[in-house]
Parts: sequence; structure tokens; C-alpha cells
Amino acid sequence: MMSTSNVSQWQVLKHDRWLVSSLTWIPVLLALSIWWIFSQGIARDLPIGVLDLQQSALSRQLIREFDATSTLKVNHTFTDINEAKNAFIGNEIYGYLVIPRNFDRDIAIANPPQVTVFYNSQYILVGKLINSAALQAHGTFNVQIAALKQMAKGNSNQLSALSKAVGVRTQITPLFNKNSNYAQFLVSAIVPALWQISIVVSTILFLAANYRFYGLQKMATNNPLRKLVTMSGFYLPFFIMQGGAFLIWFYYILNWPMEGSLLPLFFAQLVTVIACMVMGALFFFLTLDPTRAMSFAGAFSAPSFAFMGVTFPVTDMTQVAEIWRSLLPISHYIEAQISQVSYGATAWQTMSRFLPSMLGYLLPLMLTLLLIKKQLRKMEDNNGPL
Amino acid sequence: MGLFKLIKAELKAVLSHPVIVLTVFGGVVFYSFLYPLPYTQQIPQEQEITVINNDNSQLSRQLERMVDATTQVKIVKRAHSIAQAKEQFLKGDVRGILLIPKHFNRDLLLGKSPTLSYSGDASYFLVYGTIVEGLAKAGGTIAAQAKVSRLVIDGIPLESATQQYNQVTLNMKPTFNPSLGYLNYVVPAVFVLILQQTLIMGVGVLGGSEKNSDGYWNKHSTLSIVAVRCFIFVGIYYLLALYYFGFSFEYYGINKLASPLLLLALLAPFLLSSTFIGILLGAILPRRELVTFVVLISSMPLIFSAGFIWPLESMPQPMIWLSNFFPCIPAIQSFLMVNQMGAEFSQISSQWQLLWLQTLGWGILAYFSYQHAQNRSGSVTFDRDKK
Repeated sequence: MMSTSNVSQWQVLKHDRWLVSSLTWIPVLLALSIWWIFSQGIARDLPIGVLDLQQSALSRQLIREFDATSTLKVNHTFTDINEAKNAFIGNEIYGYLVIPRNFDRDIAIANPPQVTVFYNSQYILVGKLINSAALQAHGTFNVQIAALKQMAKGNSNQLSALSKAVGVRTQITPLFNKNSNYAQFLVSAIVPALWQISIVVSTILFLAANYRFYGLQKMATNNPLRKLVTMSGFYLPFFIMQGGAFLIWFYYILNWPMEGSLLPLFFAQLVTVIACMVMGALFFFLTLDPTRAMSFAGAFSAPSFAFMGVTFPVTDMTQVAEIWRSLLPISHYIEAQISQVSYGATAWQTMSRFLPSMLGYLLPLMLTLLLIKKQLRKMEDNNGPL
Repeated sequence: MGLFKLIKAELKAVLSHPVIVLTVFGGVVFYSFLYPLPYTQQIPQEQEITVINNDNSQLSRQLERMVDATTQVKIVKRAHSIAQAKEQFLKGDVRGILLIPKHFNRDLLLGKSPTLSYSGDASYFLVYGTIVEGLAKAGGTIAAQAKVSRLVIDGIPLESATQQYNQVTLNMKPTFNPSLGYLNYVVPAVFVLILQQTLIMGVGVLGGSEKNSDGYWNKHSTLSIVAVRCFIFVGIYYLLALYYFGFSFEYYGINKLASPLLLLALLAPFLLSSTFIGILLGAILPRRELVTFVVLISSMPLIFSAGFIWPLESMPQPMIWLSNFFPCIPAIQSFLMVNQMGAEFSQISSQWQLLWLQTLGWGILAYFSYQHAQNRSGSVTFDRDKK
């Protein structure tokens, strides 16, 4: 405390409103905006169209089955294929279903007619949702028709008619993340990714502010490690509070399902914050130019969500992608978070995987110290201004 | 004093500024390889699962073989109990579980409906989806076979039995990205955002570097500096956009359905309004690194509100209004439509109009903020005859 009394961080904060903002309301606003985007949770009533070439009670029943799924809403009716195609390409609908001519007759003579669903798979999530909703609607319709036919044959008992109509029943249980709420699951990974960006850039901002106010001499001579640690120690609680806040917000206030415990996660967050700060410091001391450091920070952390592996699995990534992934602190953290939140793993199981990979950040820390020494030497050589 | 000289001075300022060169050229090329990197395999395949077979009949073993034969799933372990299967899962050996119940074979032949249970790790959405898809496929096939064989036992000829299995067949046609490839999904949209963000950073850093110092930028009228800056940066970014939409898309095998003319027409308001945002940020932010800071932290909210990940229909309306202030939002939507889905110009005209509207709005803001910054940097140095 005594040795830093002449390098007051309160003084720095007082003169740098942007630094204060980046430590306080900006990360909160960003996290809230992400949550807001996905706040509906489940994609419902996606617009699709229908080209019904049969126009019968039976074909309308099939359309009703599609409309009855929570995902789909049949709100466009077309009279020819070009019209349907235009609306599809023009993004008015996410898909359309074509019911062929002779639909009724073919069902009656047991020559199954083919219903075609064109759906937009450019938007993968939407495409997958439409696909499963269509399969569900089709399955229901099939069983209804089969049961009807059985009953028409004199199998008056509806239950036995149904059982003859159904083959293997399947039960799909998501192991972990029981509610399969895609939005929640995305938000709980995007917010940590944002948090990482926020820590790295705020670290650069506070180092740059100190550099502006006090100069490198005061910041780092005589035991740079200790000075760096005391300086960072002042900002660490801000980042810890941000991390803790989103965990508490997700799993206590919004009450999302949580199998494990938050305690090991708080510890994992502490380690993650330190790793992110080390990376920020490395970028800054590389050139002492905050703009350049910010560019490096962007290149490093901006695409980290893609590498986290929560959307596209790590096991299907190439070696190079996996190496880049392992450099990002947040990809190690998210594994710890999922192991607690979804799997309910023990603290030991989580930490024994998390901590060894985080030891790697000692290397950039050492590099940072070497860089500080180099920058100090360079300054002395130039007979620096301060 | 010649326009040509001014253009030369501006071009020199851009190309000799290490941070701008690093951000604009370095950034665009670097991201063009880094961003697609996780997705180069396009589709998750051969997810490893464990199987608990409580039936051990020939039919159940046939089911196992069918599951293994799908491209989505691969059986790597077996377990005797659910507890054991779960343990294998937690150790990270497998990512999904298939449970074949006791009397599976008997029930199926009796016409009862046995229940197959699948579980996948739903914490990883694509892993889960892939496993379920593979298992459902195999389960569906075996169910069809069982039903057909039962119909044959009932005395119905094989051919019509096969057809009777379904009353109606469903033909699902994934369109625009038929392979459901992840690269085709992410890259065309994210690249548009990268163009916008690096452009704003480049322009903004240039403006920020001019601050409180003297140079060609305060010796000319605001209009001529803004015009020349747009000319230079839009020019550079036309080239970089050609690199993305031409070389990169070709390299990754992504659809290029739009005519070059249409792309050029769309790029004009998109690049112009992005340049204006860069000028504005460079002028109003006190230090140039803050431009990069603002751009960096805005990227994720922007990409997730563009509507290609999460449907606009499910997004709060005020969020959509808000997002429509930023060029990348209509740009991503319309580039996807023309280049990935083959839409015509008339179908994206509303986005195109919005982009021009943005150009106008951001242009006015850019003009006045830059004029203000010019005046300030003039007064800091020495009194200058203003024109």
C-alpha cells in the first residue's frame, strides 16, 4: 500500500470517464442486450406457407397439423409454385409445404402421396426447428389416417387401431440441460465471451490510463511484478463482481436449471480474470500503444464465441482450431461452467480439468514482465521524458 | 489547391499509419482465415455414444448395427446399466446414450410399441441434435421394417406392405444450404460484420490520430476531407469486399448467387454509412483507442441481432428498431438474400433504401462532428484562417 501511495488508482479513475464506464455500466448493458435479444426463449410461430393442390378436407387437416405445432404458423397460401418460391426467397416465409394433386385418392388406394417441405437451411437453427416440427406434424397425421383406416375396416376399438398404426415409440431425453431451451443455453455462453472481451479491453484501458498519468517509470521500475500486481489488484474486484453478477443473475434470479454448485465457479472465474488480465497486459506492453494493443485484443478475443465449442462441437474442429481455442481463457472457463451447471460434477472433477490448462498463462505473464523490462531499457536509452 | 494532391495526402496518411494498415488489411485477411477455422468440417459427425442393450435379441443387435452405420453416430462403448453409462458420459468417453429396453423384439412382433430411449448431451446443441438425428433415423428404419414384416404376416404382399407403412410420405428439402453446413451458415454473415467493423476502426483511428495536431486535414473544407476520406476508404473496401465475396467464398465453397453488379450496388450505401460512423466516432471520442474499444464491444450484440442466428420473429420489436440504425444489420440480411438465396434486387429494395437512409443520417452526423473536431484541432495549434 505504501509503495503505491503515489500511484493512486482513484486519481486515475477520476480523470478517465471511459475507464469507469468500461468497468461499470458498459458490460452490464451489453449482457442485458444479449439477454433481451433471446428473451423470448423459444422460437414460436415461424411463418411458413402452403401450396395446396388438392384443397380437400384431408389436405386441410394436414395443414392444421403443421399449424398446430408451436414452432410453425401457416400464414401464407399460394396458388402456384412461383408465388411460393418468390415469398420463400424474399424471406417472407421460412419454408413452404406442397400438397400434391390426387392427395385424397392416393391415400384411399394406399399409394402414399408425397408431401414436400422446402425449408430455409441457410439459417441453421430455424431450419432444424422447422425440420423437427414438420416431422412431428407428419407423424401425427400419419397415425390419424392409419387409425381412421383401421376403424373403417371394422377395428372399432380406437386404442387397438392406434397401436396397430404406431411402430416403435421413441423417447428422446436430453441428458443434462433438461429444458433444451436453446436461447438460455446460448446466453449462458455468450455472456462469458463478452465478459472476457470486457476484461481484456478494460485491462488495456487502465494500463494506458496509468501510462498517461504516471508514465512507465513510476508504473513499473523496481519490481515490476509487484507493481503490476498491486495495480491490477485494484481492478480485479470489478471483474470478479461482473462475473459473479451474471452467475447469480442466471441461476438465482432467472432461476435457470443448475445441477452443481456456484462456489467452484467463483474460483474458476477468479483464475479466468487473472488470465484475461495477463493477456491484456501482454498486448499493452508489446508496444505501449493502446490503439495497437486494442487491435491485438480484438483479433484475440472477438471470435472467441465461435471457438468455445458450445455451438459447433470441439471434437469436430481441426487441430489448428483446437490450438487457437486453447489459447482463449474463456474456452477453459466455459467447460468448467458447463460441468457444474449441466453435469453437476464435483468441484474436484471440475478443477482437475480446469486448473492444469490455466497454468499455461504463466508463460504470457513471464513474457509481459520481460516486455516491461525491455520497454524500460528502451526508455532509458532514449533518455525518456519522465 | 488540387483535389488530386488531397487524395494523395489522404492515401499516404492511410497507408503509412501502422495501426490502420494492421486493422484494415491485416484484420480483414486474418479474420478471413480465423473465423471459419472452427467450422471447416461443416457438419458434426460420428458422435460417440454408448449403448445399453437389455434385449440382446437379434433384432436389437441389428438396430445397433444400423445406428453405427449412420454418419451421425458411432457406438464406442457398451454399458450394463444406466449408472455405468452415465459414468462413461461424465468421464468424457461418450456424448450420448441409447437404451434398448427388455423385450424389444417380442413387443415389436406382438404389435405393441416398445420405447427406445435416446439421450444426448443437450448442453452442446449440435452434439445433441446430431445424436438424436442419427438415432431417430435408425429407430425409424427398424420400426418400418418391423411394421412391414407384420403386414406381410397379416397376408399383405410385400410390395404393397412397404408402401402402406406410411399413409403419406414426407420429403424434407433443406434449401439454400442443402448440406446444413455450418461454414455456409456463419461465414457469409460474419464476413459482412467484419467488413463494417474493420472499416469503422480504420476510419476512426485515422480521425482520432489527427486530433489536436496540424496537417492537411484542417487546411481544407470539411466537405472535401469527408468526401476524399469516403472515396479512399470505400475504394479500399470495395477491393477487400471482392476478396471476401470472391476469393474467400470460392475458397470455402460458399454460394455466390448474386450478380457482381448487384453486390456492388449493395456495397455502396453499406460502405459509405460505415465510413461515416468511423468519421463520427473518430471525431467525438477523446482518444483513438476508444474507437477500437467501442467497435469491439458492439460486435456481439450486433451479430446476434442480425436475424440469421435467432429469428427476427422471436426478437423484441424495440431491439429490431434499434439494430436498424447500424449498416451491418440490413447489409447482412440483404447479402444473405441475394448471395445465398438468389433473391433479386426488387426483393431487397427495402433494405437497400434503409441503407441509403442510414448513409444520409450518419453522413450528416459525420459532417458536423468532423467540422467541430477540425475547428478544435485548429485552435489548439495556432490561429488559422478558416475558409
